[in-house]
Amino acid sequence: MSFLRIQNLYKTFGQVAAVNRINLDIAEGEFFTLLGSSGCGKTTTLRMVGGLEKPDSGEIHLGDQCLAAPGKNLFIKPEKRNMGMVFQSYALWPHMTVFENVAYPLKLRGIKGADAAKKVSEVLGLVGLSGLEERPAPALSGGQQQRVALARALVFSPKVLLLDEPLSNLDAQLREEMRRELKSLQQRVHITVIFVTHDQIEALSLSDRIAIMRFGVLEQVGAPEDVYFRPATPFVRDFLGKTFLLPGKVSALSDKQVNVEVQGVGAASLAVPRANVIGSANGFPAVGQGVMVAIRPEQVDLSGNRQEGRANMVEAALQGVQFLGDRYEYAVKLGTESRVLLSPVSQGLRAGDKVLLDLKPEGMTLWPRDA
Amino acid sequence: MKTMAKTETANIEVAPRSWFPPLDGGTAIMTVLIAFMGFYVLYPLTLIVINSFNTATIAEPEVYGLDAWRKAFAEPGIWRSLWNSVKIGIVLQLIALPSGIFISWLLARTNIYGANLFEFGFWISFILPNLATTFGWMLLLDPSTGLVNSWLRPLGINFDIYSFSGIIWAHLMANGISTKVMLMTPAFRRMDASMEEASRMSGASPFTTLLRITIPAMTPVIIVVFLLSVIRIFSSFETELLLGVPWGFYVYATKIVDLARQEPPLVNQAAALGSVILIFLIAFIPIQRRLIARRQFTTVTGQFKPKIIELGIWRWPATILVGFIVFLLDVVPILSVFGGSFMTRFGFFNLPKTWTIEYWKMALSDPRILQGLQNTLIIAFSAAIVGALFFSLVGYILVRTKYPGRGILDSICWLPSAIPGVLSGLGLLWMFLGTPFFRPFYGTLFLLVIASVLGGITLSTQILKANFVQLGNELEEASRMSGAGFWRTYFKVVFPLMAQTMVLVAVLKFMFAAQQTSSIILLATSETRTLSLLALDQVAAGYREVASITVIFIMLLTLGVALVARSFGLKVGIRAD
Repeated sequence: MSFLRIQNLYKTFGQVAAVNRINLDIAEGEFFTLLGSSGCGKTTTLRMVGGLEKPDSGEIHLGDQCLAAPGKNLFIKPEKRNMGMVFQSYALWPHMTVFENVAYPLKLRGIKGADAAKKVSEVLGLVGLSGLEERPAPALSGGQQQRVALARALVFSPKVLLLDEPLSNLDAQLREEMRRELKSLQQRVHITVIFVTHDQIEALSLSDRIAIMRFGVLEQVGAPEDVYFRPATPFVRDFLGKTFLLPGKVSALSDKQVNVEVQGVGAASLAVPRANVIGSANGFPAVGQGVMVAIRPEQVDLSGNRQEGRANMVEAALQGVQFLGDRYEYAVKLGTESRVLLSPVSQGLRAGDKVLLDLKPEGMTLWPRDA
Repeated sequence: MKTMAKTETANIEVAPRSWFPPLDGGTAIMTVLIAFMGFYVLYPLTLIVINSFNTATIAEPEVYGLDAWRKAFAEPGIWRSLWNSVKIGIVLQLIALPSGIFISWLLARTNIYGANLFEFGFWISFILPNLATTFGWMLLLDPSTGLVNSWLRPLGINFDIYSFSGIIWAHLMANGISTKVMLMTPAFRRMDASMEEASRMSGASPFTTLLRITIPAMTPVIIVVFLLSVIRIFSSFETELLLGVPWGFYVYATKIVDLARQEPPLVNQAAALGSVILIFLIAFIPIQRRLIARRQFTTVTGQFKPKIIELGIWRWPATILVGFIVFLLDVVPILSVFGGSFMTRFGFFNLPKTWTIEYWKMALSDPRILQGLQNTLIIAFSAAIVGALFFSLVGYILVRTKYPGRGILDSICWLPSAIPGVLSGLGLLWMFLGTPFFRPFYGTLFLLVIASVLGGITLSTQILKANFVQLGNELEEASRMSGAGFWRTYFKVVFPLMAQTMVLVAVLKFMFAAQQTSSIILLATSETRTLSLLALDQVAAGYREVASITVIFIMLLTLGVALVARSFGLKVGIRAD
């Protein structure tokens, strides 16, 4: 049963379709992320859900209420939608204290005095800011401002929480800490969250489901592991994490696996599990077809010597080794591409050595050549 | 390794060249500057206070006593003029500040039509001299001959501009509203739109958001604008002279001029009245400075293009309202002044000969107008050049150097903004007539130049200082590292980089000098009269049609110059931050 339903949502800015007829169903209590690079339409989508932008066409429904339907000339104003929102700049009002900032939505809902004070102190406790009520908002650190913004968005128990890149203004260490806190907070209050980010680590670690957007359209919607390990489109594959791409030719087919002769890297043979074939339709794959095998660096092991009889080994050139304290970083060149592999132990290798890469079968995906 | 060691020794051998001129050099510069500026700014004011205890008139041996104070404050007219100033200030701000805030909000944050055009309209109104707008409205709202009144009369209304409400109206039409819109619109525009959006998401309507979030978040700017207006209360002069004096209504500034120009002159009483305000203002300046210097709320993110608030059905009414205000502020007074110069009798359309160019013929051959134009140009150009060159050096020293005494110099530069023009005029009058050394300068244009430069010190130093801060240190440091000294760096690097700003300061000073009256009215003679003073005299003598031609000349020298400068990309105007 979908809670927030977006149908054919469409919005242009000038000549550009910022959001191009997207459909989404978000469940109650779900942590849903819109992921993409800047200008992909994720923020515009979020703002249309919040009522800060009017869609050109399409509909947005929350539960059994229609929030926006330009076709029916229906638009619920943002102040009537009962959604909390955290802005990228936090947008704390500088002329108010922490307490006044958080109590503002309560005041507008007629909650005053002791009731309001109780709710404010509860929610400040929830975000870990008890005792800072009387501070002026500009006198807080970035992380604290972030928490106030979160408290202000949560204090009136909204139906949906909208987060517009809330972590992007924090420094790296604080961002990691806030990320963990955000997740545990969402699990405690069990609120539906729509989260907009361009950071794949935030998206993968926080979300129940991720929608990856590009040029105003949805590329793929799915659970983090799904989109990461089973990317539906080449864009998603290349956008999330890093990949080695090896061109080859299908040499044999069976129910279990597809055998691929890889070209240019020592004529190795790879066996890709049948389940990892992307877009298997229209006679793909077939023997003799040109294909691409994709694999993530973390699914690749570095090994110094050839073990006879083992498949899925390819030859590569080691370009450089760097010691990073807790790990070693190996830059390897496979075919025409350079990628970085991490290893916790030193392999006693030097730049310029020929190395063998052991590709894990479950990590490989098979794509048509032109993708 | 060897070569490196060599270089080090070489370095040690060279005498370390200090960053700025040697300390005693810096101290010398500062001593001269502070002494000069102090004498220029403070000495005339001190003379006012001293001579309020003097019962002899200017240039006579001093006789000290409390007589002037006693007489001044025994006369109810003096108290009344003070109260009138305050009353005008309060009523004017009660109307102008809320209107200014509302219009700025409409222009900067809503989808009103023609926002840029209207903002330009308010800029024009700001540039138009008070004298021109007041005169224009005077022609329209004269109780017996006013054109607008002749339209209103059938409705049973006759709005007399020679009244308290008439003075308020003239102020609103002159700079009361436009200055505020000019200062606040950019500030409203820079505000982070997500603060308003956060309020909407919290459940507030656009109007609640305006009252509870937008305006309170803008309070630092609003306070600055308000203080600037408060401090101008006692400076207001032309409007009250034209519209108040004819019916015996005096404010602070017109009263001082009246006392000083009486026969026999009551300069000592004028000084007593001046001292009262001087003491009040000097107490007020530190407060003003602190409030203005205090860091603003950081309301700028520059992240998202500021979201415009949709006015819905109010879009057209708001556009028409602001458009009408701009029409009243710009078009009406300009048309009125031009109309006045071409009509046989202004407002009389049923005369046998309604239109005439007689007055233009008369004016263009009138030696007084040509003399006035020449005087105005000399004064305005001198003020512009001296202002830009000299105060760029002052600004540079204040921002860039570590010389001792910068605080004192800065304070001296802040003072003139608070001193009503009439007072500095009175002080200079005393200085030039009372000091034998200076006495020969009385009656020369030099005296008026001195007064004109004085009036703009604060504005010039503030603009130049802001620019030096913005410019950053490194360009100069690079010049110093390349081996150039202080003066070479100043003239070869700083000066060219600042050229545009200095032209801007020069243009502003030119405009202000060309339209001022209050600071020079006590210093000018019939030979050194400027166009503005001439216009006041012409109105007082009843030659309104000729006066409108003089006013047109003044408008050309102010608005005309400003428009030309603007077309070259100069941001002619003032800012609140």
